[in-house]
Amino acid sequence: MNWLSISSGAFLAAFALYCTGFLLYVIAVIGRKWKNREPAAHTRKWSGIAFVFSSLGLAAHLVFFFTRWAGAGHIPTSNMYEFLTLLGMMIMIAFTILYAIYRSPLLGMFALPLTILIIAYAAVFPQEVQPLVPSLQSNWLRLHVTGAALGEAFFAVGFAAGLMYLLRVTDYNDRSASARRSQFWLEFSLYVLIVVAGFIITVFAFRGAGYEATFLQEELSIDARGNEVLTSQTVEYQLPPIVKPHNSEVVAMQPFLGLDRPLFTAPDWMNGVNAGRKFNTVIWSVLSGTILYGLLRLLARKPLGAVIHPLLDGIDPDDLDEISYRAIAIGFPIFTLGGLIFAMIWAEQAWGRFWGWDPKEVWALITWLFYSAYLHLRLSRGWHGLKSSWLSVIGFLIVMFTLIGVNLIIAGLHSYAGVS
Amino acid sequence: MKGRERKITQIVILIGILLLGGYAVGTTLFASDDEKPKIGGRPPAFDNVADIEGNLHSLDDYKGKPVMINFWGTFCPPCVAEMPAIERQYQKYKDQGLVVLAINLSEDDITIRDFLKRFDLSYSILRDKNRMIERRYALRSYPTTFFIGRDGRIMDIDVGGMDDEEIEQYILRLLET
Amino acid sequence: MFENTKCECGHQNPPDTTLCESCGKPLGEEALSDRPLEMRYDGVARRSQKKNPNPIDRIWNFFSSVKVAVVLIVVTLVGATLGTIYPQKNTFITFDPSYYEETYGLPGKIYYMLGLHRTYESWWFITLLVMIGASLVICSLDRVLPLYRALSKQQVRKHLQFLTRQRVTYAADLQGGDEEWTARLAEQLRKKRYRVTAEKTALLAEKNRFSRWGPYINHIGLIVFLLAVLARAIPGWQMDQYVGVREGEAVPIPETNYYVKNLDFEVEYYPDEELPERLKGTLRPKRFMTKAELYVCEANCGSTALEPVLRKVKAHDILVNDPLEYKGLKLYQFDYDTTPRLKTIHPVLVDLESGASYGPFELSILEPAPEYEVGPYRLKLITRFLDFTVNASGEPANLSNQPNAPAFLFLIQGPDLPAEGETFFYFPIPTDRERFGQDLINGAMAERFDIRVTDMANVEFAGDVSYLNVRVDRALPYVFVGAFISLIGLVMGFYWQHRRVWLRIDGGRLTLGAHTNKNWYGLRSEVAAALRAAGLEADPKSLDNGGRNK
Repeated sequence: MNWLSISSGAFLAAFALYCTGFLLYVIAVIGRKWKNREPAAHTRKWSGIAFVFSSLGLAAHLVFFFTRWAGAGHIPTSNMYEFLTLLGMMIMIAFTILYAIYRSPLLGMFALPLTILIIAYAAVFPQEVQPLVPSLQSNWLRLHVTGAALGEAFFAVGFAAGLMYLLRVTDYNDRSASARRSQFWLEFSLYVLIVVAGFIITVFAFRGAGYEATFLQEELSIDARGNEVLTSQTVEYQLPPIVKPHNSEVVAMQPFLGLDRPLFTAPDWMNGVNAGRKFNTVIWSVLSGTILYGLLRLLARKPLGAVIHPLLDGIDPDDLDEISYRAIAIGFPIFTLGGLIFAMIWAEQAWGRFWGWDPKEVWALITWLFYSAYLHLRLSRGWHGLKSSWLSVIGFLIVMFTLIGVNLIIAGLHSYAGVS
Repeated sequence: MKGRERKITQIVILIGILLLGGYAVGTTLFASDDEKPKIGGRPPAFDNVADIEGNLHSLDDYKGKPVMINFWGTFCPPCVAEMPAIERQYQKYKDQGLVVLAINLSEDDITIRDFLKRFDLSYSILRDKNRMIERRYALRSYPTTFFIGRDGRIMDIDVGGMDDEEIEQYILRLLET
Repeated sequence: MFENTKCECGHQNPPDTTLCESCGKPLGEEALSDRPLEMRYDGVARRSQKKNPNPIDRIWNFFSSVKVAVVLIVVTLVGATLGTIYPQKNTFITFDPSYYEETYGLPGKIYYMLGLHRTYESWWFITLLVMIGASLVICSLDRVLPLYRALSKQQVRKHLQFLTRQRVTYAADLQGGDEEWTARLAEQLRKKRYRVTAEKTALLAEKNRFSRWGPYINHIGLIVFLLAVLARAIPGWQMDQYVGVREGEAVPIPETNYYVKNLDFEVEYYPDEELPERLKGTLRPKRFMTKAELYVCEANCGSTALEPVLRKVKAHDILVNDPLEYKGLKLYQFDYDTTPRLKTIHPVLVDLESGASYGPFELSILEPAPEYEVGPYRLKLITRFLDFTVNASGEPANLSNQPNAPAFLFLIQGPDLPAEGETFFYFPIPTDRERFGQDLINGAMAERFDIRVTDMANVEFAGDVSYLNVRVDRALPYVFVGAFISLIGLVMGFYWQHRRVWLRIDGGRLTLGAHTNKNWYGLRSEVAAALRAAGLEADPKSLDNGGRNK
C-alpha cells in the first residue's frame, strides 16, 4: 500500500470537497433571497447539504493526515507544508464543533475559504516527506504541534466570525469620519486576504508554466589562515525576478513579458541569497494581489466590503459576536496547553531549557498575552461587538505572523524545515 | 473583612510584592557581570598550579605581596612581543617584592618548552590546563594582565600588549600600596 | 458616617451594596434605572470605596483595576516584540558588542545602546512582570472574597424586581396550584442537572458554581509560575553551561565538582535512500549519541597540575531528547564536531636515491618523542608546531593552540650525512605540505629524503568532540506545577458556565429570572427547553431581556 500516494489523493479530494462545500454554503446564504423560495427552509436544506460536503472534506483530510503518518513513519507536523495542512484541518474541526452548536451557514461561508486559503498556501511549500533531525523525534512534538494548531484554529474561526461581524455592521452609507475609517480598515483587511490569494495564484501559475531563473552569488572572503575563500551560492527563483539578490549574477533566466533581466537589485542590508528571493516573492504577491483587487473592484464598482455587506442582512450581529467570543474562549485553554505548556516541556527535554526567549517562543507568548487581554476586555460591556471583532482580526494577524513571519523573517532554533 | 484587618493584610501583601519585586529587578541590574573579576574586587583564587619546572603555586602563597598575573600563549603575537619588556621590568623591581606569574593558556609541554628556548625569562611561568583558570578570570582576549596590590585587591586590568613604560607605570602603582 | 442601607425586606446591607443580599431588591442608584441589573458579585459591595483613599488604598486600587491589568499586558506584549527584532545577546556563545552595529548599521547601534539586546533580562521588562504579578494577587484577592461571600449565602425567594430585571426573564400566568407548578418546574430543572433548592412556591436552581473559581485558580497558577521563575535567580538553583568533550577524555564541569567523560560518540546520518530528491547527498543527522560517564571529584579538583581524584557516579547514553540526570544536574546532547584531527601517524622515511624505505615509526602529534631510530638513521625532534604559520616577521609560529596544521622539524643524522645532521621539515597533512612549500624549505634534502604516510591504515585520528549542555534548574518542577494549575483554572472557567435560575409563583403568576456569567445563548435555550418540558410556551429569543451594549 503506497500510503503516500493515497495521502496525496486524499488531499486533493479534501480540497475539492471544501471548495464544493463553500459554494453550497454560499447558495444556502444568498439563495434565501431568490424568488420562489421559502427562506428558512431553503437555508436549512442547503446548509445541511453543505455541511455534509464540508464534513466529507474533513474526513478526506483526516485520511490524508493519517496515511501520510503511516507513509512517513512519523507524525506529519514537522515542516511548513505539514503544519499548514494540519492547521487547515484543525480549523475545519473547530468549525464543525461551532457549527454543531450554532448551526450558522454564514460561518461556513467564511470559515471554509479560510481553510482553503491556508491549505492552498501550504501547497506552495515543498511537500516531500523529510526525515526528522534528532531534536524533532519526540512524543511531545506531536502534542505540542497539534495542540497549538487546534488552539490557533479556534482563533481562526473567531477571526472569521469577527470579520463577518465587521462586514455586517459597517454602514457603507455613513460618510462620517469614524465610519469612513472603519470602512477603510475593513477594506484593507479584505485586501490583505486577496494579496495572500494573489500570492498563491501567482506561484501556482508560474510553477505550472515551469518558470525558472537562477542566480549565483559569490563572496570572496579571507579566512583565519590567510586563505582566500570563495563561497558560491546559487538560488533558484520560481517567479520572474523583479528583484535579484544583492551582489549576484544571472546564470539563467527565462524571459517574461519582454523582461529579460531583473529590474532591481536587493539592497545590501538584505544579505544572503534567500533574502533576495523572499523579497521578490513579496513584491510579486503585493503586485498580483493589487491587480486582483483592482479587477474585483472594477467589477463591483464599490468597496468589496459593501458588496458582501448586504449578504449578511438579517443576521443578528450579537450572535456573530457571541460565536467569535465563544470560539476564542474555547481555543484559549487549548492554545495555552498545546502552544505553551507542551512547548515548554518539549524544549526542556530537547534543549535543556523550558524557555529561551527565541523569537518563535516570544511570539507565541505575544499571541497568548494578546488573547488574554482580549478576554479581560470582554469583561467590560463596552468592549463587546465592534471593538471585540477588530481585536479578533488583529489577534489572527498575530497568529499568522507567529506562524509565517517569524520563520521567514527572523531565524532561530525553531525554524521549520523546508521553507521556500 | 473589618477595616483594620483589611488594612494590615493590604500592607503585608504590598510589602511582600515590594521585596520579591525588588529582588527580581535587583538581580537583573547586578547579575550578569558578577562573574567577571573587576578592579577593586578580589582576583579568583587558584591552587596547586604547576610551573614549567613542576613546582606548585597557589595564589594564596603570595598574600601581602604585589602580584602581576599575565596570561599569554605562543600563538598570540602581542603576548610574545611584550615578554622581553616584562622581563626587564621584573628584573628592575623584583627586589622590591614584585611577583610576576605568567600563566600560559593551556598549551602543551613541547610547544612551551621549545618556545621558551628563545627567551631568557626569570619570572615564573605557570601552566593552565583545559582553560580552567582562563575561564575563572573571564578572559575575552589575549594578552590580559591583572595587577594585584598588597591588599589582595585588583588594582588594574590591562588588555592587549604593553611596552616598558606602561608596565612600569602599573608596577609603580602596585608598589605604592 | 453611617448610611442606612436597610432593605424593605428587613435585611441590613453593608454600604455600597447594589442588590440586597437577602432578597435581591435593587438599592441605591441601581433602583433608579430600569436597565438589566448589574449582577457582578451579585451586587455585593466589592470594596470600601472610601471618600479619601489613603496612599495604601490608592496603590491597592491601582493594582486591583482590570483596566490597569490590560494596559500592563499590552505593554508587556509590545515590549516583548522589541526583543525579536534582532538576535538577543543570549543566542551567542561568545558575545561581541560590536555585532549589532556591524551587521545592522545605525539601527543596530541604537538597539544595542538602548539595551534591547537583552530585552528579557532588562530591569523594565522584569518590572512589568512584577507588576503583572502584583496585579494578579491584588485583583484576585479583591474579588474572590466578596464573590465567595455572595455565593455562599443565597436566598431562594428573590424580590420581583430582581427577577424581572435579569437579562433572561420570563413571566406567565399559570393554571393550577402554585406548589404543584413549583415542584414540576423543579423536576425539569433537576433533569437539566441543576441543583435545586426549593421552598413551597419559590426555587433557586444552580449549576456549575465551581466554574466561577476558574479565573482565580488560573491566577494562582500564574503566581506560582512567576515565583518559580523568580526562584531561579537564587544562587545554585540554576546553571547553564556548555562543555566540549573529546572521545576518550574527561573534562571538568565548571562551577561544579563534577567531571564528565566521553567514552564514545556516535552519529548516524540518513542514508540517501531515506532522503527526498532535494536532500540527497546532504548530511542530515538521524541520530547522535554520547556514551557518557559522570564523575565526582573528591580531591585536587580545579587543580591544573595535580591529577583529580574521581569517583564514578553515573553512566548514560546521552541523546538529544534524553539527557543524563544526576541529583538535579542534567547533561543534554547539544552538538558535535566530527572534523577529523590527526592523533598519531606511522610514516616511513624514504631514501629517494636508493628507493629504500625505513620504518614505519610512530609519530604522535600531541606528544611526540624526542628521538626516533628509523633504519640506519636517527631523527631528532628539534621542534614541533601545532598550527603552523609564518608570522609578520617571516618566522615560523603557531596560529592557535589547536593542532590544525601540525609541522615537525627534525634533525636527521646517519650514513652519508654530515655529523651534525641535516634539518628536515615535515608536514603530515598534504595540503599543508603544498601550502607551505615543504620541498622548497627542505632544499637539497627534499631530493634525498621524504617522509610520508603510505597507507591510511597508518593514520590514527583523534576522536570526535561532543558538545553537551549542562543545566541545573531546581525551580523547574514548580514552574510546571504553576503552569498546570493555571491551565486547570482556564478549563474550569471557560468550558463550564455558572448558571442560576430563580423563580417564584405568587397567586398563579410565575416570575422567573436567570443569570449566567457567559454563554447567554445556551442559557436561554436551556431555560426555554425546561419551561417547554413543563408544559409552558417559551422560545429562547423571547426570554431575552436585552442588556447588550450596542
